[in-house]
Amino acid sequence: MSILLGADAVEVAYADISVVRGVSLEVRAGESVAVIGPNGAGKTTLFKAIAGMLGLRGGSISYGGARIDGRRHYEIVQQGIVYVPAERELFPHMSVLENLELGAYPCYGARAERLKFVLDLFPRLLERRRQLAGTLSGGEQQMLAIGRGLMSRPKVLLLDEPSTGLAPFFVSEIYRQFAQLKREGLTILLAEQQVPHALGFTDRAYVLENGRVRLSGASRELLGNEEIQRTYLGMG
Amino acid sequence: MLAILIDGIVQGLQLSLMAVGITLIFGLGGVLNLAHGQFAVIGGIATALLMGEGLHPLLASALGVLGAGALGLAMDRTVLVPAYRYQGEERLLLGLLITLGLSFVVNGFLDVRYPTVALTLPLPTPSFTVGGITIRTASAVVALIALAAFALLFAFLKATLLGKVVRSIMQNEVGAGLCGINPGRIRTLIVTLSAMMAGLAGVVQGLFSSLGTELGNEFTSFALIVAVIGGVRSINGTLVAGVLLGIINAFASYYVGAYLTLLILLVTAAGTILVRPQGLFAFRT
Repeated sequence: MSILLGADAVEVAYADISVVRGVSLEVRAGESVAVIGPNGAGKTTLFKAIAGMLGLRGGSISYGGARIDGRRHYEIVQQGIVYVPAERELFPHMSVLENLELGAYPCYGARAERLKFVLDLFPRLLERRRQLAGTLSGGEQQMLAIGRGLMSRPKVLLLDEPSTGLAPFFVSEIYRQFAQLKREGLTILLAEQQVPHALGFTDRAYVLENGRVRLSGASRELLGNEEIQRTYLGMG
Repeated sequence: MLAILIDGIVQGLQLSLMAVGITLIFGLGGVLNLAHGQFAVIGGIATALLMGEGLHPLLASALGVLGAGALGLAMDRTVLVPAYRYQGEERLLLGLLITLGLSFVVNGFLDVRYPTVALTLPLPTPSFTVGGITIRTASAVVALIALAAFALLFAFLKATLLGKVVRSIMQNEVGAGLCGINPGRIRTLIVTLSAMMAGLAGVVQGLFSSLGTELGNEFTSFALIVAVIGGVRSINGTLVAGVLLGIINAFASYYVGAYLTLLILLVTAAGTILVRPQGLFAFRT
């Protein structure tokens, strides 16, 4: 399969301090790829750079063969890359339905069909549809953030720490939905600290440390890697 | 008593009309517009000038409101561009300086070019009586215009996609960007719309009494106070706060005089910030 999304020697700095220092990665169409690593490794910064929310200091990002670094974040959404941040960034005083409707902004004509798709995926959002987003539980808010991201029919979904602050039940639940999205052909790039979940679900993974790629390979092989087991899985 | 109350409510509605633009521009653009009263004056003075050219008052008023909108559009697309390059506090401070500068320019221009122009829109019947209460026709007309404008604004915000987009940016600009919304374009629309509502408030002043070129700063002060008391991100709050302040203003002017009134209003606003920084009426749109 062809490479859909690629980062080439990407460098990102906050106030002159490099946070991402020359990261290259590739995601093929339909593939699920995990980016794992400790807090502060640069995962979120890398995702924000891909989503166009942060400028690059060096390197380039390409999507479908064309460079997208330097484009505005809302243009990148319109092109099919949707970022779901750990902070969720919902509209707290709007209903679940209104949040979802706004997610369909780039393809507003298709919103009814998209709404059905998202509510089928997350029946809990259907139950809560009239409730204000700010009153939802953490797990429901995460579902809403993912659902809102799916409304615009993205080709690539960037999921940043989707399990943060969620009860184990919800973590299993959202990973079940990710698996379904993957089966339907969605390309997923996932940053995660829940390493077993992330490696269990994805095809390949990159291990980020101090803003650099330390290891990469098939997720299944990384699960068996001694160093990974020692550092991230608490074994050894 | 009742006459004062009605007067207060109507003036309050006019204040709300003026202040809602401050709320919208702050909520959406992160800029406190210190030239907002000048939009009202420009709308009214343009109407007066057009009527001087022989235009029908209604047509002249419509064009005056559009003129205020045009000034808002120009402000957003030119002088405010440097402020929009920044976020948060920097944007707010730059925006304060820029809009303050613009208010000086507009004041100076009007003083030099049209020192004696004023807008008065006399109505055919000065007052009418309902159930034993005499009501000024102007008050009734102003109240109707203001309520109609707010009804349209709420319908726009609740029922249209663009309105929902506006609310989404006010609630979470980052979230709006994640949905593929370009906040800049929406901001331009809202600044223009806000300027038009201020222009309408200016024209309406001509119905009450007379609108002169010197009223800009006073309008801005009152509108700022209303926006703060209502909660600078709450549109419903602005409407309620405007009416409340109109009533306080009417009674206080009657009993203690205009200067003390302004002080009372300022203290109310300061107290609101201390007690309820989100605004007295913090139910949001």
